[in-house]
Amino acid sequence: MSRRLARLVAAVVVLGGVGACTRGGNDGGFKVALLNPGPISDAGWNAAAYEGLLAIRDQLGAEISQVETRTPPEFEQAYRDYARRGFRLVIGHGFEFQDAAAKVAPEFPGTVFLTTSGNTVRPNVAPIVFRLEEATFVLGELAARMAPDGAACAVGGMEIPSVKSTFIAFQAGAAHAKPGYPVTTSYLGTWDDVGAARTATLALADRGCRFVLQNADAAGPGVFQAAGERGIYAFGSNRAQHEVAPNAVLASAVIDIPAAFVAVAREVKDHTFTSRIIEEHMADGAIAVVFNPALETKIPADVRNAIRETEAAIRAGELKVPTAEF
Amino acid sequence: MTEWLVVLTASALALGTPLLFAALGELVSERAGVLNIGVEGLMLTGAFAGFLACWATGSPLVGMVAAAGAAMMLGALLALWVVGLDADQVVAGAALNILAVGVTGVAYRAVFGVTGAALTVPTFAPIALDGDAWWLAPLRQPAPVWVALALVPLVWLVLARTRLGLELRAVGEAPEAAASLGIRVAAVRVGALLAAALLAGIGGGYLSLAYSNTFVEGMSAGRGFIALAIVVFGRWRPLGILAGALLFGAASAAQFHLQAAGITIPYHLLLMLPYVLTLTVLAIATGTTAAPAALGRRRSECGPP
Repeated sequence: MSRRLARLVAAVVVLGGVGACTRGGNDGGFKVALLNPGPISDAGWNAAAYEGLLAIRDQLGAEISQVETRTPPEFEQAYRDYARRGFRLVIGHGFEFQDAAAKVAPEFPGTVFLTTSGNTVRPNVAPIVFRLEEATFVLGELAARMAPDGAACAVGGMEIPSVKSTFIAFQAGAAHAKPGYPVTTSYLGTWDDVGAARTATLALADRGCRFVLQNADAAGPGVFQAAGERGIYAFGSNRAQHEVAPNAVLASAVIDIPAAFVAVAREVKDHTFTSRIIEEHMADGAIAVVFNPALETKIPADVRNAIRETEAAIRAGELKVPTAEF
Repeated sequence: MTEWLVVLTASALALGTPLLFAALGELVSERAGVLNIGVEGLMLTGAFAGFLACWATGSPLVGMVAAAGAAMMLGALLALWVVGLDADQVVAGAALNILAVGVTGVAYRAVFGVTGAALTVPTFAPIALDGDAWWLAPLRQPAPVWVALALVPLVWLVLARTRLGLELRAVGEAPEAAASLGIRVAAVRVGALLAAALLAGIGGGYLSLAYSNTFVEGMSAGRGFIALAIVVFGRWRPLGILAGALLFGAASAAQFHLQAAGITIPYHLLLMLPYVLTLTVLAIATGTTAAPAALGRRRSECGPP
């Protein structure tokens, strides 16, 4: 609540109405809203979703609105608020939104409640499940092959299934290359404390971690900073994050959120949407490992070939990547 | 074991410093009878203003000055509310926190783009100390850490041994009596609030200019509220506050060192560590009252001056 109020106050006080961004009138048009669990300026998970929302506006001519929500009561209130105002599609960006979606959905059969990640399906509730694990598996293998005698680690915001899953796959990927390869995980308990992320990463690096995977949203830059200080490599997630830290990020596990959002929004707009678990895989091009062009040359050719084979096996469905219980 | 202690001490100092700045500032304001709930907002403002100025000029020192300046401007607004207009201190402070979250977020997006650039800025470098004795390692800290430590005796000296300190304490204990002796209660309180804002702003600037090298929305992450707890924990005394800040810094560092060591107990328990510690000590330490008698009271509740 306080965050939303804050945006409102600030918008009025500072810029006279820039905070919220509802465009256009109230009726008629196709309206889509996005609820984020953190700031869209995180250059990662939330930023990618906002780009997806903008793509829906640009490609489908939708009226869009976005709001930052922090707690389950806020999720519910925001879902209900948008549905009441005639939004046809409301996207809750994360696993944590599914309970609120399931609760509100029966009251508004004309609105589709989408969650990114999750397993809850109702006539008008559906999750898009991004199998980011497929990419973090490859990153785990990359770490174990580049530093066979080292160790890898992962820093997460909170231990929610979608984050935990990427870490389980990261560990499995490392073990795939070298059984028993040590991978330590550390959780911050917050998504925006960069200082905590730095402390956690320094502690992991001092314990021998050579490759660190971050999945902590806005706190992520703290991981990159510490990786740079200790001279270890970092892996980004959700977006190609070597743009954030060109010297530290070797590769990123990337989701093409905009393409997935536009595809679902098009179905909703054309009234062809059917409720289901929408899975996005590496095979569809929705998930990928993106390398930092400046550091790519540090990867030996044989390692490169080995992970290419793994990617091909995952795409072909020959290699099943483990996930957490959702 | 020694090595582990050294690392932990270094982290405790580094993580305790922003708390120490903010809590010392809060001490000054509370000893003058003003409960400043807005520490969190002042820190966040300092973190953002410092980052912005450092990004524009390339100098962390200029950034720190901007952090202090911006926080003092916000502190002046709070002073206008609670001293000038006699508004409820808790409500005004809470409003300040909400305002700061919004202003920094909107301004960050206006300057750096909506989806964020995660720009990095130059930071205060750790002080170089030659030699490889193990005990030197925790001492290699950026300058603000040493400034914070030096402030502890300074604040004590001013509060306990100067006329200004005496007047400030008198205003916090018995504003009516102080006024009858010719002390300008409002002026002292405004000054105390500005000093509190200055220190909270520097504490915030430390986050984006010394400990981290970037700004992220909400990066103060509740440290302002912890600073409020540390003042109570420290029984409104500078030395107690130093102990509280270091203890809290150590506890928050320990949770990450334990996770890094692969301790397999649920991480939630480790994350609780600093808070449980604070609660425990608060529960034990609530013997005699040490709070300033007029703390948080409005003028209208104090009777005619």
